[in-house]
Amino acid sequence: MKQPITCKYICFLLLISLTCFSSQAQEQQQKDKAPLLSGVAVSADIVGFAMKAIGAKFANMEVGGRINLLDKYFPVAELGIGDCHREGAETGNTFSTTSPYMRFGLDYNFNKKHNGNRLFGIFRYGFSSFKYDIGNETFSDPVYGTTGPLNLGSEKATAQWLEFGVGVETKLWSFVRLGWSMRYKFRLAISNPEEGAPYFIPGFGKNDSNCFGGTVNLVFDVGKNIMKNKQKKENK
Amino acid sequence: MRHRLPIIVSSLLLLMACESYDCTLYNYVGMYGTFYKDGSAVQISDTLTITTGKSGPVLLNRAVGTSRLNLPMSYWQEEDTLVLTVKGDGYLFRDSVWITKDNQVHYESPDCPTTLFHNIRDVRSTHEFIKDITIIRSSVNYETTDNLQIHLLSTSD
Repeated sequence: MKQPITCKYICFLLLISLTCFSSQAQEQQQKDKAPLLSGVAVSADIVGFAMKAIGAKFANMEVGGRINLLDKYFPVAELGIGDCHREGAETGNTFSTTSPYMRFGLDYNFNKKHNGNRLFGIFRYGFSSFKYDIGNETFSDPVYGTTGPLNLGSEKATAQWLEFGVGVETKLWSFVRLGWSMRYKFRLAISNPEEGAPYFIPGFGKNDSNCFGGTVNLVFDVGKNIMKNKQKKENK
Repeated sequence: MRHRLPIIVSSLLLLMACESYDCTLYNYVGMYGTFYKDGSAVQISDTLTITTGKSGPVLLNRAVGTSRLNLPMSYWQEEDTLVLTVKGDGYLFRDSVWITKDNQVHYESPDCPTTLFHNIRDVRSTHEFIKDITIIRSSVNYETTDNLQIHLLSTSD
């Protein structure tokens, strides 16, 4: 009769000890786990602005904003202006556009340490509704010999695409971070007039079924300090 | 991995820096037509010359044994006038053909030559040796199939 009581007593002790251990582990995990809203950041792609400054044929100048959830998921919105002015060296054909674009998506941080550095995967959906001008000042009919300017102004087009890629980001100073990303983009849909497809899609790049792209981002993690201050106040 | 990373990154950057021109290789836009007599395709054994009006360029000069035409169209005119002259031993036939059309710019990229596509709306002619002209494909573009069937008067006509 004594054996079952001893057994019950041992089981009860084991259960209590297990509960204690699991609650301790949970507390440790909670200490390691970042809060749900871990920060807000704004960024700018410095390559696009640099390309525009040096007079490159095309540039995508963009700024972005993101929310840090658990230091793992980063919903992102990017808004920008795509700029392209190109003249064919042999043909004399010109193409120009300066139009807005937007991207929405998510970054997934692979770095499990909460040290401000990120190694992340990228997914974006991009969209642009834009106008472009195409022309040729010395357009001539080779058989009938007539010469006259060809001007097709304000052609309208829309394009949608997806982007996948990887990126890294590191802490430079306090809330300032620098990162770069490489992206593979593929076009989902485009609609344009029959006269001519656009040479360049703002935010996407040269009009093709797919292309590569990249960004060098200067990031200001403006929400991080607010979160830290909140945590400090709570601890006090 | 540390040694490989710069190579991978520089390769990707080089890949991004490359630019290719995807221009259409066969970018000739022409109107195609075949001669028919009594319902079957024929060739004109006499010399055939085609000009564009009185002072326009010569599109075909003294061709012999012509069964099919391949002619450029004007870029901007709404109506092209073709003068077809058949010259044989001791005779000469001349017919005028008027082709009414819409012109549409076809632009590919700044690096590719711009051309014009056309849409034939109507064809009419005089009837010295041409009986009738039928439009079988109105779009004039990079395709090389026939746009017109040119029916010639038979000897009995």
